[in-house]
Amino acid sequence: MGGVPTRSIVRAGLIGGAIAVFVALVGLYTKFADLALVGEQITLGRLLIIAPALVAAYAVTRPRIVAGERRSVPFGPGVVVGVMTGLVGGALFAAAVAFADWFGVDRIREVFVAVTEQLIAFLTFDKGVPGGLPELIGFCVVGGAIGGFARTAPEAVRRPASAGVLAVILFGLLQRIIPIVFVQLGFEADWLYDRGAGLTWFGGLIVFVVAAAANALWNRDGGRTRERVRRNVEQAPAAKVGLFVAILAILTIVPLLLGTVISEVLGSVMIYVLLGLGLNIVVGYAGLLDLGYVAFFAFGAYTTGLLTGAFLNTTTGAATPALSADLNFYVAVWIVALLAAGVGLLIGAPVLRLRGDYLAIVTLGLGEIVSVMTASKWAQPLIGGPQGMRGVTKAEVFGLNFQDNPQHFYYLALAFVLLAAFVSWRLSTSRIGRAWNAMREDEQVADAMGVSTTKFKLLAFALGGAIGSMGGALFAVSIGSLTPASFEITVSITALAVVIIGGLGSIPGVLVGALVLIGLPGLLREFEEYRPLIYGGALVAIMILRPQGLIPNVRRSRELEEEEVSQDVWARDAKGEAEAVAAVLPGGSLGVEREDLE
Amino acid sequence: MATATDEQVRGAELGLLERLPWRRIILVVLSIVILAVVVIGAYKTLTLPADQRYTTTTWKDFIILGLAQGAIIGLIALGYTLVYGILRMINFAHGEVFMFGAFGAYFFSHAWEESGFLDSNPALSMALLLVVAMLVSMGVAILLERVAYRPLRNAPRLVPLITAIGASLFLANTARGFFGAQSRGFGVPAVLEGTWTILGVEVDRIQVVVLVTVIVAVTVLSLFVSKTTTGKSMRAVAADSEIASLMGIRVDRVIVITFAIGGLLAGIAAVLFSITFESVSFTMGFRPGIAAFTAAVLGGIGSISGAALGGVLLGLLQSIGPALILTGYGIPSSFQLKDAFTFLVLVLVLIFRPGGLLGSSEAEKV
Repeated sequence: MGGVPTRSIVRAGLIGGAIAVFVALVGLYTKFADLALVGEQITLGRLLIIAPALVAAYAVTRPRIVAGERRSVPFGPGVVVGVMTGLVGGALFAAAVAFADWFGVDRIREVFVAVTEQLIAFLTFDKGVPGGLPELIGFCVVGGAIGGFARTAPEAVRRPASAGVLAVILFGLLQRIIPIVFVQLGFEADWLYDRGAGLTWFGGLIVFVVAAAANALWNRDGGRTRERVRRNVEQAPAAKVGLFVAILAILTIVPLLLGTVISEVLGSVMIYVLLGLGLNIVVGYAGLLDLGYVAFFAFGAYTTGLLTGAFLNTTTGAATPALSADLNFYVAVWIVALLAAGVGLLIGAPVLRLRGDYLAIVTLGLGEIVSVMTASKWAQPLIGGPQGMRGVTKAEVFGLNFQDNPQHFYYLALAFVLLAAFVSWRLSTSRIGRAWNAMREDEQVADAMGVSTTKFKLLAFALGGAIGSMGGALFAVSIGSLTPASFEITVSITALAVVIIGGLGSIPGVLVGALVLIGLPGLLREFEEYRPLIYGGALVAIMILRPQGLIPNVRRSRELEEEEVSQDVWARDAKGEAEAVAAVLPGGSLGVEREDLE
Repeated sequence: MATATDEQVRGAELGLLERLPWRRIILVVLSIVILAVVVIGAYKTLTLPADQRYTTTTWKDFIILGLAQGAIIGLIALGYTLVYGILRMINFAHGEVFMFGAFGAYFFSHAWEESGFLDSNPALSMALLLVVAMLVSMGVAILLERVAYRPLRNAPRLVPLITAIGASLFLANTARGFFGAQSRGFGVPAVLEGTWTILGVEVDRIQVVVLVTVIVAVTVLSLFVSKTTTGKSMRAVAADSEIASLMGIRVDRVIVITFAIGGLLAGIAAVLFSITFESVSFTMGFRPGIAAFTAAVLGGIGSISGAALGGVLLGLLQSIGPALILTGYGIPSSFQLKDAFTFLVLVLVLIFRPGGLLGSSEAEKV
């Protein structure tokens, strides 16, 4: 069918159905069943019914290499293939639902806790088994058709259409922000959003049309306009400055528009931007995978507490720590950063010889040692142990209160972020940045070329440590009390995910990564429980599909493009036959496969 | 230039002088400090007043506990070592493979506990539990390899590691979504409660079962790797996968088999771990996973006997270490620091002898 073997269609369909069953078992459907995106009909839960078939169909209609020639699937057959994929997937999914209903929901729930009557009702559209099953299969078929369409439709149609759909989903997910912005700016939001729910039908249509039109305009005459604008921006420093000023302006205004609740979320985004910037120096620039970054975060937070006169929680009340000072925050934070740089050197020095994965494991171990210590009774006299400490300074200045007012805190965090971003940016384009680059690409060659790898590795650890500790200091100021639960390995992993998903070595990438990973789940409380699941899945997916991240570092993605056919392309399949070059290119698709030659 | 001037030569020497010693000095000072801390701590503990001192029986219990837990850690460590030997990658998600095996066994043991099968047929039910856990863990391990690792076969080394971290997080939270966040009690056949007296020493029955099972499993594994054709091809791929594929060995198949064997061993370990601690939860994979990785590194990663030895040593260290060394300094609840101890051992091994006890010390290659 359209050059796609039947076996592949069936396999893709079955995989899609299996993914849908997985999503059901893990509890995502029950969680998101009622989160309306557009009107009352299009909910995130229903979108999740469509999604597996869509992804499967999109993957199976990819271009194939037949007899050394790259062949795309034509439009019409592409959609048909998608429909068939959806049909197979839907059949499997419906069979699973029917089985669950027949076998008894209560018996299955003894193992899989997410399988409930509500789940079955949701998946059968309240019509029960078997009445609702055709509808379920129908949804999967629609998903498959959309998947086939999204891959094989003419570019002039599918690009604007995808942009429109993505914009509608994004606007739907941001339903708790955008109305507030509208009201703050003095506009009506009622035409766009239902109160306390998703977009209205009319609003969704407008968003779709505007986004699709913008995309079509941007890509007109086959992408030449886009390329020209991009080249002009790259070559004109003024345009870059303009872009930077615009981003800065948005970052400055945003909390004023959004009120305190959302500013709180933005504050934690900023803390992770800071952590991401610090970790980016270590991992992105110097190429040293650090899995124990929480050590610096904890160090910064607790040291700030000690230096600014916080006291320990005890069963009887409060106690003074064994070591304590009563400094102003703005003095203390620099001392903290300096000390943390020292800790970075101390950690860095003994592990200099180790490379790659061993380094990662040692840093993981050091990070875990810090986590275990903060929670142990042994550390009680100094930092409170399991009970922690409270009364960290509020760091007030000019009447701004950084602890009780999230909007004010956001600006404090923004100031530190700008500082760290400036330092990162200047370093990355300097001699030091080039030395890191050389070291990351090939340590032995860099050494032979006269780059003192010892010095630059230590510098990376020290700087990364200093910035990470500032993140900790800010965290301490923002919440005022510290408990060991805030300093677990999840911090390290989250910061790493921010850096990697944003794009290794890319400063805007860190901002985007933090907004996506911290901001989005922070706005939709429903996500909270599934945050680690999504982070884990995202890490795997991004490493396989788009290793350069969402906003790639310009230099690095250029390297990837240049070497697309050389040894650095890792997205080949195991036999080393297929040339899945497309997978690593920016905007790349799921890759080309060569299975027809078997 | 044909001849190097004196100045250049001296410069090079200076460079050496500047570089080498201070790191050496740090390492030497570090090792002296650690040695001193350990010796003084042990001395202090052993010379505590008689009423605060641990009795000989307690020490004996510590040792047996350490052996049993070390044996379990060793089994998990074998999974790391096998995969590392062949792919040169740390399968960070191996702890989660272990966790899934434990859940697989839990659901059967829970059902059999209620029906009375567990107590009426303890030997048969334990054997079946082992089979279930082995199959579940093997399935997860194979799926993991296929979905997450195979597409990255030729990637730079850090890429599979980051993927593995992601996979670990994903699998742990999948289990949370599937089975719920609360931990569940794992039933043990009544026969296994209590102690047996072996050579005049009272030993928990479960620990006897654990030790015997592990010894059998490791023996079977070493026979498999050294005697069978598949075992030989595993060793060939570990030595040089490119040459092995030229010799007609299907490398991909060997890799899948390796993951499968790692999964089988993790499944055994999962049942033994669950009957020892009598509970399963979605977070149970992380700490034993790290401990097992430490054991593999301690013994020399890539070496099968090394993993077993490392496991036993680490188990002993975990059970005796905090009590022996930390109690002397008057540190309260020294067992809380057990895991910090594990990580410290890991860090020190990697710093001082990255090749491990039984491996060659080639830090530059890692």
